[in-house]
Amino acid sequence: MKRAFLGEFEEVVLLTVAILDEGAYGVNITQEIEQKTGRAVGFSTVHTTLQRLEEKGFLSSQMGGATAERGGRRKRFFTVTSAGRRALQEVKQVRTELWNALPPQTLQLMGG
Amino acid sequence: MKPPPRFATWLLKTFGHPDTSEEVQGDLLELYDHWVETVGQRSADWRYSLSALKLMRPLAESKIAKEYPQPHLLSPEMIRNYLKIAWRNLVLHKAFTAINIIGLAVGLATCLLIVLFVLHELSYDRYHANADRIYRMALNGRIDDKDIQLAYAPGPAGQALLRDCPGVEAVTRLRKEGAFLVKNGRDIIKEEHVAFVDSNFFSVFTIPMLKGHRVNALVEPNTLVLTETIARKYFGRADPIGKTLTLGHLGLFRVTGICADVPSNTHFHYDMFGSFSSVKTGPKWLASGAYTYLRVRDGYSINQVETISRGFASKYIASEIKEFFGTDYSEFSQKGNGFSFRFQPITSIHLQSNLDDELEANSDVKYLYIFSAIAFFILLLACINFMNLSTAGSVGRSKEVGIRKVLGSIRKQLVSQFLAESVLVTFLALGLALGLVLLLLPSFNELAGKQFTYRALIDGWMLPGIVLACLLIGLLAGSYPAFVLSSFRPIKVLKGVIQTGTRSGWLRSTLVTVQFVVSISMIIATLVATQQLRFIQNKKVGFDKEQVLVLHDTHVLGSNVNAFKEGLSKLAPVVRIARAGFLPAGLSNQSVDGVQVRNGSQVTIHRSKGYYIDEDYLPTLGIQLAQGRNFLKDSPAEKSNILINEAAVQAYGFKNRAGESPIGQQISIVGDGTEGSKHTYTVVGVVKDFHFESMRQRIAPLLLFYGHDVGQLALRIQTSNIPGLLRTIEQRWKAQTDNPFTYSFLNERFNTIYQSEQRISRLVSIFAGLAVLIACLGLFGLAALTTHQRTKEIGVRKVLGASVASIVALLSKDFMKPVLIAILIASPVAWYAMDQWLQDFAYRINIAWWVFAIAGALSVGIALLTVSFQSVKAALANPIKSLRSE
Repeated sequence: MKRAFLGEFEEVVLLTVAILDEGAYGVNITQEIEQKTGRAVGFSTVHTTLQRLEEKGFLSSQMGGATAERGGRRKRFFTVTSAGRRALQEVKQVRTELWNALPPQTLQLMGG
Repeated sequence: MKPPPRFATWLLKTFGHPDTSEEVQGDLLELYDHWVETVGQRSADWRYSLSALKLMRPLAESKIAKEYPQPHLLSPEMIRNYLKIAWRNLVLHKAFTAINIIGLAVGLATCLLIVLFVLHELSYDRYHANADRIYRMALNGRIDDKDIQLAYAPGPAGQALLRDCPGVEAVTRLRKEGAFLVKNGRDIIKEEHVAFVDSNFFSVFTIPMLKGHRVNALVEPNTLVLTETIARKYFGRADPIGKTLTLGHLGLFRVTGICADVPSNTHFHYDMFGSFSSVKTGPKWLASGAYTYLRVRDGYSINQVETISRGFASKYIASEIKEFFGTDYSEFSQKGNGFSFRFQPITSIHLQSNLDDELEANSDVKYLYIFSAIAFFILLLACINFMNLSTAGSVGRSKEVGIRKVLGSIRKQLVSQFLAESVLVTFLALGLALGLVLLLLPSFNELAGKQFTYRALIDGWMLPGIVLACLLIGLLAGSYPAFVLSSFRPIKVLKGVIQTGTRSGWLRSTLVTVQFVVSISMIIATLVATQQLRFIQNKKVGFDKEQVLVLHDTHVLGSNVNAFKEGLSKLAPVVRIARAGFLPAGLSNQSVDGVQVRNGSQVTIHRSKGYYIDEDYLPTLGIQLAQGRNFLKDSPAEKSNILINEAAVQAYGFKNRAGESPIGQQISIVGDGTEGSKHTYTVVGVVKDFHFESMRQRIAPLLLFYGHDVGQLALRIQTSNIPGLLRTIEQRWKAQTDNPFTYSFLNERFNTIYQSEQRISRLVSIFAGLAVLIACLGLFGLAALTTHQRTKEIGVRKVLGASVASIVALLSKDFMKPVLIAILIASPVAWYAMDQWLQDFAYRINIAWWVFAIAGALSVGIALLTVSFQSVKAALANPIKSLRSE
């Protein structure tokens, strides 16, 4: 299997969805990213990324029930698919391997 | 809290990706609230708008295949479904459907027959090439304050027109000389339809020449063109060209051509066309006549021709006026007299021309209007029925509509469903109607005097037209129920609230009223027409028309006629015999003469009809003398004596001078202008007025000359064995001559004059019957439905002690109101229309009040009968049955 390619922002979004578990939808994903990373992300960017991830098969989504707020409009909840989980692990593994390959003195220098 | 910017929301809604539209809108709304709290209103607005802008996907299309796709309204599947459901519904309510279809079919069939009739009437003379450029020239005159409007023109007028008007391309003339006894070898047959025409007749009129030369066939005198049918009658399969026939006193004619039969939609129907040069037409304008047709050149208008013809009176007729009337033209015209010409488009002759001496009795455009109106109204009745029954039936289907709506039917689909139903019913009715028309065509032909075959229904645009019209009727009639039914609110319907508001009830009553207005008007019209016809048939005609036998064409006996007459008068049943050129009601020799009456020093000119009689004429017919005496037998002096009728006494002014009797007055006949044809007569007697013409006209002045015109013999008979008498007479006839023996009875002849009125009245009465039938079918269906709806109410009423009679009355009352209102509306309308119709008759009835009473009673009775059939059934039903089912 061809190795999945995940962009940096895609990885952040995918991870956030995984963190939020069951209740991940557009708004709280955006807020979570803002809160955790401290960078100002636009809703439209998050939305587009979510769509792209779903297209790639890393996310799946289903509509929730009707809500009282937001004009009665339903939410679209995202969950990470197994392909998404594998992609995350792969990315993490690559990172870990890279970190491990780093000579300890360099790390010390950086840490210094 | 303030809502986000409206424009941005709209942008998002309209141009956002359709698949994520909902959650994106929701998410943004939620974020907006969050932003307002955290960063403030202005920044929130800004962020919201920016996001909306970034999320626009104007070209995006939904990738999700719909789970339950909605098929298009008119997709084949839907149409199949509409028809299937429609069919099931029709089958479910069989009685209802039958009423609907039968009513509509009867209406359509009637309408179709009338359309056939009207189209045929309208098609008269349109088949000629350049029919729009062919005109008939006719003479108008005004003499002594009397208008003369003749269908023909003076003999030389046509040639003068050709000479003087550059715009006239061709002129052709036609003369009729009455009936001829045609001799072919030993056979003698009487032919009524003989005309003498110019040689270019077949070039102006498009009647194809099958054999012989189209242009040269009728150039020579005593040449003859026969129609196909007549040629076969005389010569069978042999080639008729060059064969000869003897035409009465005109002698031997050579057949030079065969033409196609004259189409039925022509204003004349002749079987034999002799050449014009075979008969003599005088050179005088005022004493000759021929039916003159002209074709104007392309680009010329008939008005130019008419303008030129205005000069004809002074140019050609002036000199003759001196000769005939003895006055100068200037003096003549000063008195308001004059002659002019009218030009009638040939296509208008059949429907609009009603002049003296038409070639054939023409139709009247008025009757076309009447029939078209009847067709329209009958169709309207049928459509109203349809609408009424469908809306009334809606209650039963409101649940269905509710369920359909809940299951996702959109309104358009429901409308299509109901329209499909009505179109289906219309086409079923059309099928039935076409069958009915084919079945009824022979009897309709007889009634209307036409010859339609089934081909008339499929020729040309007829069939597509019918189908299209039916589709339209189906859609129109179905539209009201469709929109009413589809507007039901599903929740209310399913909860059981029945939506038969007062609105539709009101509409239904109005429609029923309209139906009965039409039916009642027609009933009144029928009653009045029948009454008038009976009136003129039974009115005293001034002579005794019963038991008078008329022998035709007795002049063929020649000199033997007197001996034959003597022989017949010895027969026991024969009371008296008269020789007569003219007998009332029939083709006879009768002349129209200019009459000069000397009234003191003043000379007045009149135009009167006259004919020759012998001394037996008055007693044989039972005509009474008012003054003076009858002609004397075998007295040569009587040749210069004359009898006149009372109308003539009045017209000539003999009564105005006190103390003077008409007896002994002098009357001069102008004749055809030549010296020898002028005669002066002395009045010896005045006969009481009798109807020698149809009762549509007032009795005209009449001159009776003495002479032995042996055209016909009138026999007053007194016997119960008429066939025996006829046999005896025929034997004697056969002994004398080879000519056919023909006879008629005077009273029967009289009845045939009113054939066209009888025909119309019969047709109207049939249509009236149909209208009533359709209206009653509608009422029947409506009554059935309302009683069905009120079953429970009736049950409760009965349980509480209502009598059968009171329930019947309750149910019938609703239906009587529209009928009563209809009587009120229909009576004045019908009265006005029939009064107009009666104006045509010189002798007419007054419309009596009881006609309206009868029509009203009849319609109430029929309506009551129709409704009571249902209401009695409902009232007699056992209440247990209707109340148990809950």
